[in-house]
Amino acid sequence: MSAHQKDRIIDTLQALRAYALEKIAGRRLEIGLYYHEEDSYLMRFANSAISLNTNEHLIRLDIDAVEGRKRASYALITDLNKLDEMKHGVDTAIELVQHAQPLNYDPSIPRYRESFSDESCFEPALAEISNEERLAFFNQAVAGLETAELKASGIFSNGSTTIAMLYTTSEHSQFFRHSDAQVITVLAHSELKWEVIAEASAQRKADLDAAKLHRELATLVRLYQETPAQQLPLGKYDIVFGPAAIAEMASIMRWIGFNGGSMKRGFSFLSEAQLGQKVLSAQVNLSDDPSYRETFPFQRDYYGMKRDGFSIFKQGVFQGFTWTQDDADEFQVQPTGHTISHASLVLQGGGQAVASLQELLAMPRERDLLYIPFLHYMNIVNPSKGVITASSRFGALLLKADGSVGIPYNVRLTQSLLDVFGDKVAWLSKQTEAYNLSASYGRRNPMAMLTPLYMRVNDLEISHSNTSY
Amino acid sequence: MLDQIKQHVENLKRMGATYVDTRWYPFEESNSLVMWNGNLKDATLSRESGLGIRVLYKGAWGFSASSDTGDLPGLYTRAFDNARIAAQRITLPVRLAEKDAIQARFESPNRINPMTVPLGEKVAFLQQMDGKLNQPGILQRVAALNFVRKQIIFVDSEGSEIEKQITEVFVQLNVMGVDAQGQMHERSFTLGQDGKDSRGWESVDPILFNETAERLVQELGEILVAEPCPKDLRSVILLPGQMHLQTHETIGHALELDRILGYELAFAGGSFVTLDDFGKLRYGSEKLTARADATLTNSPGSFGYDDDGVLAQNNLLIDKGILVGAITGRQMVEEANAKAKRQIFDGSGGANRATAFYRVPIERMTNINIDPGTDGTLEDIIAKTEKGLVMDSPRSWSIGSNREQFHFATEIAWLVEDGVKKQVVKNPTYMGKTLEFYNSLSAVGDASTWKVEFVNNCGKGQPNQIMQLGHGVPVCRFDAVRVGE
Repeated sequence: MSAHQKDRIIDTLQALRAYALEKIAGRRLEIGLYYHEEDSYLMRFANSAISLNTNEHLIRLDIDAVEGRKRASYALITDLNKLDEMKHGVDTAIELVQHAQPLNYDPSIPRYRESFSDESCFEPALAEISNEERLAFFNQAVAGLETAELKASGIFSNGSTTIAMLYTTSEHSQFFRHSDAQVITVLAHSELKWEVIAEASAQRKADLDAAKLHRELATLVRLYQETPAQQLPLGKYDIVFGPAAIAEMASIMRWIGFNGGSMKRGFSFLSEAQLGQKVLSAQVNLSDDPSYRETFPFQRDYYGMKRDGFSIFKQGVFQGFTWTQDDADEFQVQPTGHTISHASLVLQGGGQAVASLQELLAMPRERDLLYIPFLHYMNIVNPSKGVITASSRFGALLLKADGSVGIPYNVRLTQSLLDVFGDKVAWLSKQTEAYNLSASYGRRNPMAMLTPLYMRVNDLEISHSNTSY
Repeated sequence: MLDQIKQHVENLKRMGATYVDTRWYPFEESNSLVMWNGNLKDATLSRESGLGIRVLYKGAWGFSASSDTGDLPGLYTRAFDNARIAAQRITLPVRLAEKDAIQARFESPNRINPMTVPLGEKVAFLQQMDGKLNQPGILQRVAALNFVRKQIIFVDSEGSEIEKQITEVFVQLNVMGVDAQGQMHERSFTLGQDGKDSRGWESVDPILFNETAERLVQELGEILVAEPCPKDLRSVILLPGQMHLQTHETIGHALELDRILGYELAFAGGSFVTLDDFGKLRYGSEKLTARADATLTNSPGSFGYDDDGVLAQNNLLIDKGILVGAITGRQMVEEANAKAKRQIFDGSGGANRATAFYRVPIERMTNINIDPGTDGTLEDIIAKTEKGLVMDSPRSWSIGSNREQFHFATEIAWLVEDGVKKQVVKNPTYMGKTLEFYNSLSAVGDASTWKVEFVNNCGKGQPNQIMQLGHGVPVCRFDAVRVGE
């Protein structure tokens, strides 16, 4: 996207704003324009072939109308050549809001005091990786590892996301642009059904390292090929979680933990009484920190609020709930700059020097350790107690006290996050990495969390143990 | 526009494509209204249009989509280029099962187009429901309406031209409250077929919703003062509100042929089912007969023709406990037959669907149903149960990556002791292994217990796709199930 293209987006929104101002003249009505453009590329692999190669270029425009306490929206997929269609959208939003029912609180409306533009997390080289480069990267990551039974699958997803916002309350606009890539490589045995994974998240092209993925896959493949799998007895284990599992569990706290709106509505295992209290392990330091470019950050929220580092847990002590503007309005608290499509969660590394799977395997251990890199299909069993359930997947290992390595069939954990991140935490690794948490159910929203590579938690119970894969 | 599409399809054929199709959405409109504790939190209308183009070249797929119809040549060229690159890494060239060239039109049954109903009328319905739910002990209450109406025009290089007009209506009520220990509990209701033969605005039946709202409030009150669910082995009697999701997760997803063939291994997962299992595997007891029926009147899993342009079908999946079929599209049946070196499937099962013009069709559930049985009414089944739980409405669900095991929590459960349904228990859960569980199926309710439940949020694929479908299921009893963990 060129500077010209950025100007075209802002000019189009300004033209729409001018149209909206004409329409609402003399009325207590404000219009908001939210522009989302994605240029998405995804090469999908299955059974050692490219099963799908796709790209989508989509422009979405959300038009919000707020009249006093009444609020309504009109959303459309459009393109910049269709100004008349967008103007019709403004008309429709204005029509809709007349029929809306008033809220029982006063909703805030963004009023930008200055224009803000942030393209620091956009790199054309990453956004515009070619088909040939995607294929070459994947080929390098799995080179020499595929066999007649061992099939490669995965994705190479990359693209760019452009967001622009403008309101009738002010002539100033906000503009954000991110580039991102997510790579997943899986090797799965077609008969035995075991599967191992290596993943990468990139905000710049230089973040991509096919050789690293290859090393991880090669290590796991060797272990899985050499060692027969076993069913683990039910009971308590000392578990080392990998970055995917840590990130999934920590990020689910956005919904049932430190989200103020969830807490007020009863969906949280944290309460206001726990503010300032030690809730988790003293080794847990969790924050929302947009200074980390790897998390595809927003420096301002959608209401124009500057986003600085926001501590959530400091040495296990609960520091504060995050509040969207709408929840803050409803529950009459101060917003915290979290009216945003994703936060920049950072779980700080701890004191254990372990920087790779190879180093984890080589670590001396006094007891058997169950290594779970990935948790499949996590769901919330009881939000009030923070209980989640999920199954291990993708390369679990039993690191035996005698130094040998066993291969366990998958197991199920049903645990409270208060235990997983509580005093049962033995250590967190010093080394951290960005784990990509993006999902593409709707509009592109690149998301990653900075997490320790490994976290050991003692005495966690497994409630189910498979007899096969 | 249609003529241009046909011309571009022909152009790609001349360039060497072996198959091309286009799904043109002239419009897709949706309307979402959510009232939460009396506040109209969401009142959104949306509209989109665009094209998705799928190209098969040298045995590999390419896809491209855009809402910008101003550069059709560029869009078709990108789809072709994507296929050309994909052809550099193939192991088994894609072949498509034979099908007829079809010229047809389908419209999902509806009498009142929900998009034409004034917003004020819809908000009035939500206010009425909110008032019914606003009772002592209710901390949170939600009433939500979601409507979709879309036109899809499908054109392929094999001579098919199909127009579909789909209307969808989803309605949900939800109440939540906190017990004396500070734990949140909920009761919810999602509109299913509920005896209606169409799904326009007329399916939003005020009598049904008024009665349901009262029931939800009453049941939540019982949950809030209930004792915890016991932790032991016992029978579970799943009402359709829970049985549909059990079916969805451990029959539906497990029998998607793309999963069985390894096409979802990098994300959603695989299946414990292998190609050798068809015709042999005892999936469940003899009481279990399951089918993929896209011909049901009024369900989101009924769509006339799939996105391969194949007629909707009613196919057996499990016949008296034996695995006999799968959820299939054109590509996967050819690949499965080739890999199995035998004719497992006679042709596409007509179950390849995409969620939007900008997503590629993949195997999706239609209506995955369980046939009614011969064990009578719910009361009959309870009367013949010594120690059990009657369970309803999913609260959480988590399934193994090969669908081999599962853990469910439900919103509500009633104890059954010596053939009598007794008090409600809270935080009920059950878990099991899929084959063991279905082979413990000991009672299947008759047609009086059979109900079609709608699912509005089935996720699968990369890029991810949310799909709508249905499940017609009876009351089912399973024995010796672990509960309360």
